[in-house]
Parts: sequence; structure tokens; C-alpha cells
Amino acid sequence: MDYAYFLVTLITAIVLVIGGLGLALLISPRSNNSQKREAYESGIPTRGTSWMQFRVGYYLYAILYLMFDVETVFLFPWAVVVRDLGISGLVSILFFLLILVLGLAYAWRKGVLEWK
Amino acid sequence: MENIKELILAKVPDAVIEDKQYLTVTVKPEDLRTLAKMLRYDEGFDYLIQLTGVDYGDSLGVVYLLTKSEDMAGCIVMKTATADKENPTLPTVSDMWEAANWNEREVYDYFGVIFINHPDMRHLFLTERWKGYPLRKDYDAGRDVNPLDLKSYDMSDTTVSYVSEGDGLKKIEKKLFEDDDYVVNIGPQHPATHGVLHFRTALEGEFIRKIDANCGYIHRGVEKLCEGLSYPQSLHFTDRLDYLCAHIYRHGLCMCVEKAAGIEVPERAEVIRTIMDELQRIDSHLIAWSCMCQDMSALTAFIYGMRDREKILDIFEETGGGRLIQNYNVIGGVMADIHPNFVQRVKAFIPVMRKGLKEYHQLYTGNIIARERMIGVGVMSKETAIAYGVTGPSARASGIHCDLRKITPYAAYDKVEFKEIIRTEGDSMARYMNRLDEIEESLHIIEQLIDNIPEGDFCAKTKAIIKLPEGEYFQRVEGGRGEWGVYILSKGDKTPYRMKFRSPCMTLVNAMDTISRGGKIADLITIGGSMDYIIPDIDR
Amino acid sequence: MEVKDIKIKGIPYDEFKDNDTLEKYVEELRANGVGIITGVLDDIINWGRSNSLWPLTFATSCCGIEFMAVGAARYDFARFGFEVTRNSPRQADVIIVAGTIVDKMAPVLKRLYDQMAEPKYVIAMGSCAISGGPFCNSYCVVNGVDEFLPVDVYVPGCPPKPEALLYGMMQLQRKVKMERFMFKDKEVKENE
Repeated sequence: MDYAYFLVTLITAIVLVIGGLGLALLISPRSNNSQKREAYESGIPTRGTSWMQFRVGYYLYAILYLMFDVETVFLFPWAVVVRDLGISGLVSILFFLLILVLGLAYAWRKGVLEWK
Repeated sequence: MENIKELILAKVPDAVIEDKQYLTVTVKPEDLRTLAKMLRYDEGFDYLIQLTGVDYGDSLGVVYLLTKSEDMAGCIVMKTATADKENPTLPTVSDMWEAANWNEREVYDYFGVIFINHPDMRHLFLTERWKGYPLRKDYDAGRDVNPLDLKSYDMSDTTVSYVSEGDGLKKIEKKLFEDDDYVVNIGPQHPATHGVLHFRTALEGEFIRKIDANCGYIHRGVEKLCEGLSYPQSLHFTDRLDYLCAHIYRHGLCMCVEKAAGIEVPERAEVIRTIMDELQRIDSHLIAWSCMCQDMSALTAFIYGMRDREKILDIFEETGGGRLIQNYNVIGGVMADIHPNFVQRVKAFIPVMRKGLKEYHQLYTGNIIARERMIGVGVMSKETAIAYGVTGPSARASGIHCDLRKITPYAAYDKVEFKEIIRTEGDSMARYMNRLDEIEESLHIIEQLIDNIPEGDFCAKTKAIIKLPEGEYFQRVEGGRGEWGVYILSKGDKTPYRMKFRSPCMTLVNAMDTISRGGKIADLITIGGSMDYIIPDIDR
Repeated sequence: MEVKDIKIKGIPYDEFKDNDTLEKYVEELRANGVGIITGVLDDIINWGRSNSLWPLTFATSCCGIEFMAVGAARYDFARFGFEVTRNSPRQADVIIVAGTIVDKMAPVLKRLYDQMAEPKYVIAMGSCAISGGPFCNSYCVVNGVDEFLPVDVYVPGCPPKPEALLYGMMQLQRKVKMERFMFKDKEVKENE
């Protein structure tokens, strides 16, 4: 396991982020007025508060996305070492996928995928 | 028409009936609703084209222009006036014609006339804090009365309605939005509102519960300005109302003045005007298509549409001198003869545009995402369209025959053959397809005229100072977005006493609330793009 | 950096019609003690900034259509770096005021301008934004957006041809290249 590549990536990421933010902090002009702190809504002052009840549909959408994203995260390392794992690896990953597909089928049947 | 005169006199014996350009019936305010009900329900005048407020000096009046949706050629004019200038009131007709809702708010804005039982008596164009009524003849237009105020105020959530109670009026406050509504401001600075239109949208998640459209962010007071200018001078504003249909609007005002002054336009000028009108119509529909697709995130379609539009602008620039604002029509004809290259360039353009149309259909119309976003979205039924006074390609998508080029042909339109594009679904897809098909029809019209431009003068000789005889003059033309109209009230001077422009886009925006409710925000953008309104046309 | 040395798109100093305003601007800054001798770092930063000014999508009337035409394929302003028109003022660098500004719109425009992040510029496009245009005698039109915004470049016309707007944008780029960027006054007080 050659961790040198990983270290290089990590250091580059940190340097780029800190460098960019730091440079901006050093050389950017400062200015402030009360409109800058307000929400932008096409130039008109906003009405009311944004703290209110949201539709549960947004939450379901986010949760479904999260699940399939995590599934993808697990699929990538398997794809890298698929040849070494052989048939038994294939069977285990298929089992994993089957459980998630069952979840998707349930969500589909329940009509969660339609936005109502 | 004799029949209707008897019927009117039977219902309203005090009515004064005159046979002018259209049959004109003047009634007292108390009889207005009786007459209006009779015309609307018994006689079938279900289309309110224009509602104009006039300051007659000693009284404030309103002029209504009505027509029937089955036969849009014949019109009737209803007039009324109130002599009370301190607290002027008139009964509303917004329950009979939805189009009257916004028009009466406009009259309130300009003249201060309160319409009894109007559901939403607020300012339309001016801010809530505006002092004075601009179009009254005794208005002081100074900056000290209404100084420039840069402070942003919160917009009020209540509206008022006036009902008559005993001898006076009672003011009822109504809520526009509930306290717990989530109201979001879409516009005025927004790429998809096609100008500065402000939609206050009450949302429930993604669904739209109610839209309150606020206009006036480009209200330039054109009608008041025209009262101080001579007729040739006021032509310049028509280009800047709906700048994408500049030729057509200018043509309309020129025709109104020419008919009133008795100036005959030479045939060559008529044909040139028609060809320019149709080129302008293609230009306008191209931008409508480009912007609609851009709003739905197809930026490539924008680039394609604008590319073909540049060819039309080249033709305009060579002959008229300007790309967007050409100032080409004048009273009596056109300002200059067509450039020697004109005919050949237009003939070269026609096949290019046909090829472009095929490309547009290939590029966007068959796309599954486009179809999902447009089919069934924003359905405007025929009744809604008639009630709001919608005209143009949007109304023809709901099945109404309202193409003024066919119904009341003007210029050279009676010499050419073309189809009126009618669809009945009334959804955004129908409006979209209407525009593209109308481009094809415009090309067909140009093809028939371009080789047969008659020889002769390009402009009739007119007097240096044009004075219209006393009277009222109406003119209706088919603009790119619907029927545009002019109303001139002349007292015999060289400047108009009152000039009013009937805006087709006002009816489109007025109908947005009804057809967008229950849809999603993304649908609002699609519907707005398919209705294709231009805001300076509304606000004038 | 002298005004003479700035080349936008390879166009030399003599081809620009209005060099006087820029020279006067530079002299005024020098006279008031602001160092215009910019170092290499300033040059690099100004080069980056001037070639990437992103306009706000702001158009009220007819000039807006010519603005859109400048963005379209024939007169592409993306070649100058004005690539994306940002819809939010917080991400925009320049506001091209295209169209008439009326009394009702003025507070909205002021608010949008205030919400933009420094450094920001204003181009007044069209005669309506410069002085009220054909509507200057109206009861509710602001006679020129410079009544309440500091304008950097005026582009006359009704509407200005796309080439005129591109020329105006190039003048703005030259102005940006003249600015001193590093270690300016740290606090820039703005009117509330």
C-alpha cells in the first residue's frame, strides 16, 4: 500500500484551499453595509421568516439520494479489487445490491418517487 | 345594428347612441351595469378589448371597447362619466369581464376613480405612496411633489375594496396573503421574467398557491408624454413599448392617424409595411422561442435563435437604419425607400429560415424533457382566455379565432393567402408550436409579396403640422403577442387630448395567476416563457 | 502602468476615441497621493480581474435585448471574459444598467448595487440610463442612473449597437487595469 499518493493529494488539497482563502483575505477590499447582510430576493426586501414547516417530500428525496450515494461509495472499492475477490466477492456484492434494490422497489411502489 | 339600438334603448332609455367609427353608447354611471349586463350576457359581447379612462375637464369618464369572441370584427363602444372630481366613483364591471380588473386599477392609478365593488382596488403602476393622479389635466408633475425615494419599503399584504353603503362608500380590507403563507419574490430582477415583472408567489413546498403580479417597474408615463407631443413625435414611443414588434406598433399608430386625417397611403408603402411587419413578427417569435428554451435551460437554443435573428436585423439595418428600434414607419408611408439589396436579401433569407425551423424542431421540440415540461402545463381554457381578453398566439392555442390580419385585414393582408394557426389544447406546448408555425406562415406571406412590390411613392405628402379633426379614433392591429390597439381622443389640436395604447401583454400577465395555480415553480417559468410577455408593453 | 501601455485585444492606445477621461482620472489619483505606480503583483491581479468581469443579468427595457444580442453568438462578449451573466448580485462584478430606470425600480436597483461585493463597477447603457432618454420629461423616470449610482462607463445610443457596448466594456477593462489593488484603504465606507 503506497500511502505516498494519498499524502500528496491531502497536502495539495489543504494548500490549495488555505492558499486561496488566505490570498483573498490578504488582498480583498473590505466594505460593509446593511444590505450586504440581508437575503437576496431579486432586489425586494423579504417577507416573513423562513423558519416554517417544510414538506416532508424534500426530506424523503434527500434520504433516498443519501442511501444510493453511500451504496456507490461502497461499490467503488469493490470495483477496484474485483479480480482478486473472484466469484465469492461477486455473490456478496450482489446480495448487498439486492437489499438496496428491494428498498428502491418499496419506495417506487409507495409512490415516493413522484413529487406530489 | 338597428336591432341592437332598439334593444339598448328599451333597456336604458337615457342612453345616447351615436354612429361613429363604432356604435357608441353613452350612459350615466347608474345605468352602466344594466347596459353592460345586457351587452355581455344577452348580446354576447364577451371580449373587453380596451378600458380607457379620460379626463374630460369637467368630468372623469371611462370608455369601454367591446367585441364578441365569435366575430371579432364588429365592436361596440360604451362610455360613461362622473362629474364628481373630488371623490369620483363608478361601478365596476370586473365581475363580467375579468380583463376589467387590471384596467380599472389602471384608471384608479391615473385618475383616482374608485370602482365600487372592485375586489382589489390598489395601485397598479405607481407606488403606494404616490401623491396625485398623473393623467388628470391638473396634475403637477414636479419632482417636489413626488421626490425620488431610494428606500425599500415592505410591500403591504392587504388590499382594499369599496362597497356602497347608504350614501357613501365603505372600505373593506382584504388579505392578499395569509400570515403563515410562504411568500417569495420572483423578479423584478430575474432572467426569466422577460423584463421587470414582480411576482409575489405564495408557495407550499414546490406548489404555487397564489401569484400576485406587480407591475410598474418600467412605468414611464408614455401616455402622459404623448399628450404634450405632436403626432409624428409620439410615434417614437411606440417603438419602445414592445420593442420586439416595433414596426407593427408604429404601423398601428400611423394607420390610426392616417385614417383620422384622411391621408391615403400609397400601395408601395402598404406592401413594404406588410413585409416589414412580417419580418418583425418572425424576429419577435424567434426571440420568444429562444428565451423560452433558455428559461428551460436549453442555452444552445438561445444561440441558434439569435443567430438567425441577426440576419433579419441586418436587413432592417440596411433599409431602416436601426436594428431594434428602426423608426421606419411615418405618417403617410415609410421614411425612406427600400434599399436596392432588400428584395434579394429577403429572398435569400427565406430558405435559411426554413432550414432553421427544421433545426429548431430537431433540437428541442422532440426532446423528451421538453415535452414533459410543456405538455399539459399551464392549460388556459377558452373561457379563461376570453374572460381575460387574451389575444395572439396564446389565445389561438386555446382555440379562439382572433387573428386580426384575417378578421379585419389592413395594409396588404387582404391580398395574401395564409393560414390562421389554431390549436385547442391550450397548454404551453400548443403556444410554443403556434409560434413556430406562425413563423412559417409569415415566410409564406413574405414570399407572396416580395416579388410584387408595386412601383410608386413610398410616402404620401402630408402637411407639416398634422391636426386630427375632433373625435375619437380606434385602431387595432395584430402584434406579435396579441391585439395591440390605439385610442386617440382629439380636440382638433396638433397634440392628442388623450392617447391610450391597449396592451396585449397585460392580459397575458393578468391570466398568469389563474393558469399557474397548483403547478410547480418550474412550471411557472415554462408558462411565463410560453405566454411570452414584454413588460414595457404592460407598463407603458 | 501607463495608460499608453494597456492593450485590450491588441487594440493600441491611438485607436480608442476617448483617452482623455482615463488620463485625467490617472492624473487626479496621482495628484491626491494615491500611488499609481503599480507593481508587478498589481498588474497580474488587474490583468486577471479585467479579463473576468461578470455582469449581472439586469435589463429593464429595449437595451436589454441588445445586451442579449451582445451575449449571443455574433457579438459574443465571452471573448472578453464577460462570460457568464450571474443572476445573483453577490457573484457579479459589473452591473450593466440597460434600460430606463423609473421611480419604482430605483430602490430595487440601489439594493442590488449595495448587495454586490466589492470591487464592483457600473456601466450605464443607453440614453435612458445616462439621462432619462426619450422619457426625460416624464413624471416618474429617473433622469440618469448616476443620480444615485457611481457610473464608470457611459455607452450612448438608443439602443447602442452591440459594437458600441463592446467598446464600452473595453474602456471599462482599461479602467480596471489602471487601478491599484494591493493594500488599498482597508475600509471603504458606503452610503447606507
